[in-house]
Amino acid sequence: MSTRADEEYDYLFKVVLIGDSGVGKSNLLSRFTRNEFNLESKSTIGVEFATKSIQTEGKTIKAQIWDTAGQERYRAITSAYYRSPMTYHVATLKIRGAVGALLVYDISKHSSFENVERWLKELRDHAEANIVVMLVGNKSDLRHLRAVETDEAMAFSEQHNLAFIETSALDASGVDTAFQRILTEIYRLMSRRNMAAEEGGNQPRLSTGQTISLNSENKPRKNCCQG
Amino acid sequence: MSRLPGFLRRTFSPHNEEKSSDESAPSSSPSSSHHSSSNDNDVDDDDGRTHSCATTRTTSTATVASTTTTTAPIVLRRGGSGGRQLRAVAFPPLPGKIIGGDDDEDGGEGGRGMGEGGGIDDDEYDGGKKAMGAGGGEGGGGGGIIGSSNHAVFPSSSSSSSSSSSSPMTMPAVPKTYRERQFDAILSSPIASLRELRKLAWNGVPLHMRPIAWKILLGYLPANAGRRETTLRRRRDEYRDAVRRHYDIPDNSRTNAEQETLRQVLVDVPRTAPDVPLFRDPRVRRCLGRLLYVWATRHPASGYVQGINDLATPLLAVFVGERLGCGVVVVDGPDDDGVDGGCAGIGIADVLDGSRMASITDGMMEEVEADTYWCLTSLLSGIQDHYTSDQPGMQRMVMRLEELVNRIDAELASHLRYTGIEFMQFAFKWMNCLLLREFQLPCVMRLWDAYLSEGDGGFEDFHVYVCASFLVHFSPTLKQMGFDELFQFMQNMPTDDWGDREVEILLSSAFVLSTLFGGSDAHLNVVRNTI
Ligand SMILES: Nc1nc2c(ncn2[C@@H]2O[C@H](COP(=O)(O)OP(=O)(O)OP(=O)(O)O)[C@@H](O)[C@H]2O)c(=O)[nH]1
Ligand SMILES: [Mg+2]
Repeated sequence: MSTRADEEYDYLFKVVLIGDSGVGKSNLLSRFTRNEFNLESKSTIGVEFATKSIQTEGKTIKAQIWDTAGQERYRAITSAYYRSPMTYHVATLKIRGAVGALLVYDISKHSSFENVERWLKELRDHAEANIVVMLVGNKSDLRHLRAVETDEAMAFSEQHNLAFIETSALDASGVDTAFQRILTEIYRLMSRRNMAAEEGGNQPRLSTGQTISLNSENKPRKNCCQG
Repeated sequence: MSRLPGFLRRTFSPHNEEKSSDESAPSSSPSSSHHSSSNDNDVDDDDGRTHSCATTRTTSTATVASTTTTTAPIVLRRGGSGGRQLRAVAFPPLPGKIIGGDDDEDGGEGGRGMGEGGGIDDDEYDGGKKAMGAGGGEGGGGGGIIGSSNHAVFPSSSSSSSSSSSSPMTMPAVPKTYRERQFDAILSSPIASLRELRKLAWNGVPLHMRPIAWKILLGYLPANAGRRETTLRRRRDEYRDAVRRHYDIPDNSRTNAEQETLRQVLVDVPRTAPDVPLFRDPRVRRCLGRLLYVWATRHPASGYVQGINDLATPLLAVFVGERLGCGVVVVDGPDDDGVDGGCAGIGIADVLDGSRMASITDGMMEEVEADTYWCLTSLLSGIQDHYTSDQPGMQRMVMRLEELVNRIDAELASHLRYTGIEFMQFAFKWMNCLLLREFQLPCVMRLWDAYLSEGDGGFEDFHVYVCASFLVHFSPTLKQMGFDELFQFMQNMPTDDWGDREVEILLSSAFVLSTLFGGSDAHLNVVRNTI
């Protein structure tokens, strides 16, 4: 639990990867954190997790990225158990406290794009109100199989006020940019909020290693589980 | 396993308690090896020759002997003291016959080595590593072969037990271990005793008997040997029919839900056990996709849930293995010089590497698929609410696990709480995929021998105890870790070098937990004092 020198960071942001099963969430994560791609990766059961630190605007930001299962069944768990405070469960755990979400679809599967609306609703229902959402059209390498036009997705994201990018976990294009951009965005939004909140000169900086949240519900980590 | 907490380490020894202290017997099934060491060498086959395949028995045991102790404070044996009692039963030496064994020609050097591996220890069948180490590595990768059996009718049918002795083709076979003969006796009796079978299978089913044993334990094959053939035929026909009605239909006559199911199944099939070459075989993939889809459409309350694909893999591999004669060892006839011929056979590793799929006909594959379908159906029917809406079974199991760990390793539990990691975050997968993501297939198969022997609760109640033992096994390591590290560790538990032995230690400690915590808190204090 000690924070070693190489792990020092100014901010820790929790980002969640959501989207239909098979769109490539796990591969985006492994490409970003380990520079690995696996054509036959196993489906994600429950939730997986990885971290990586990046530099932005002179700050070290540690991203704690939660990769979630895409299958409908697990989404059913979400809505059912979110309401019951007694029962913890995978889906709310990973969404609660996240300050960013990469909402991924597969550019070669139109249905995964159609489902983006449902995922947005999921976020509205369960996530922090100020969560930064980026729409990610993955598998851009599959040019010959493209089923979702870039313009279409761009228009959609403008309409819903989302950031947008196309990526390929396979050839790595756009992957670092996607994470870099969402983390930077979170950082800016957060600094603005802090600035506004602390108007009058109190230092807006959070202490090193502190988990921050876009709303005020900022609990120390060791208190975050139900006994 | 040196990190095993005292109470868990100790519990392994009961399996060994009956061996004399100066004898180093394999721990995995000490009672049987003990017996077999006195029996094997005088088991003659039909023509009166004694084979020497079982010569290096003791070598495989060295490593284990040091981790076990002969002074067990608790005497535990699943299903009572079966081993000891059975010992008194006079077993007539069974003729070792192999029917239809047309693979006896790949004997030779490698064959002999494998045979030796096989003779070492009837439980050493986890794919070569150990058998080779033990037997001097002559086997060239095929180790882990056990003695032959007259059940192993191969490759024609799985309901072999009834027809074996009438075969015109009698081959000399490797002497059987005591344990195998116990299985033989049960499986070839007109009505197999489920109780006896469970008792035996809990300690591991010999490789070539696993297909039939699993089918019986899962209720797919009847205990009545005379009815097995017809049951198989009927069920396979039924399945073929279901495929016709549900799968072989135009996509536009599928409901939306069915189309979504099909989509998800097709996404998941190539992602199922992708590290195991067998599951990259196109026919295996087609068969997996079809049976998952058919199961899902016929069980709409649950439907296809990711993880069910994982559960099908041990079944499929075992039934493909059946067709490949996995675990069957055939001994060549004597050479001119009177020296025994080699032993030939294949192990789990040879099944999983997919290299022998060419010898599996489409007809066999169809039967494998039907068998897998029905066995999966039976398995899932015992854990129905694990995959229905909201997965209540999963919630229940994770909660029980947490409770259990709180009791047996309070320090670990409070450390986990302190770091903020939730049981749900790491154990959901353990429950949803029954540890298939944590272990290699041969280990899972060994685990399932015991689960299936547990009857109804195997894949639920007993599984939770196994998970608790599993977690606590890593307790010292886990207690050093913070949230990030913990999470990473749990996502990729270091079990790559685990074999049957480690699984058996796990099973033993799980068994202890189940006796201590099964149903009541009465024994809580015992455990507290033992830790
Ligand atoms: N061509 C191409 N294939 C990709 C890309 N990203 C992922 N894939 C493939 O798509 C399949 C699914 O990828 P995953 O990363 O496992 O998908 P997922 O979204 O995590 O799926 P779930 O865990 O089931 O929710 C795998 O076969 C990947 O190899 C990509 O950028 N290009
Ligand atoms: Mg995934």
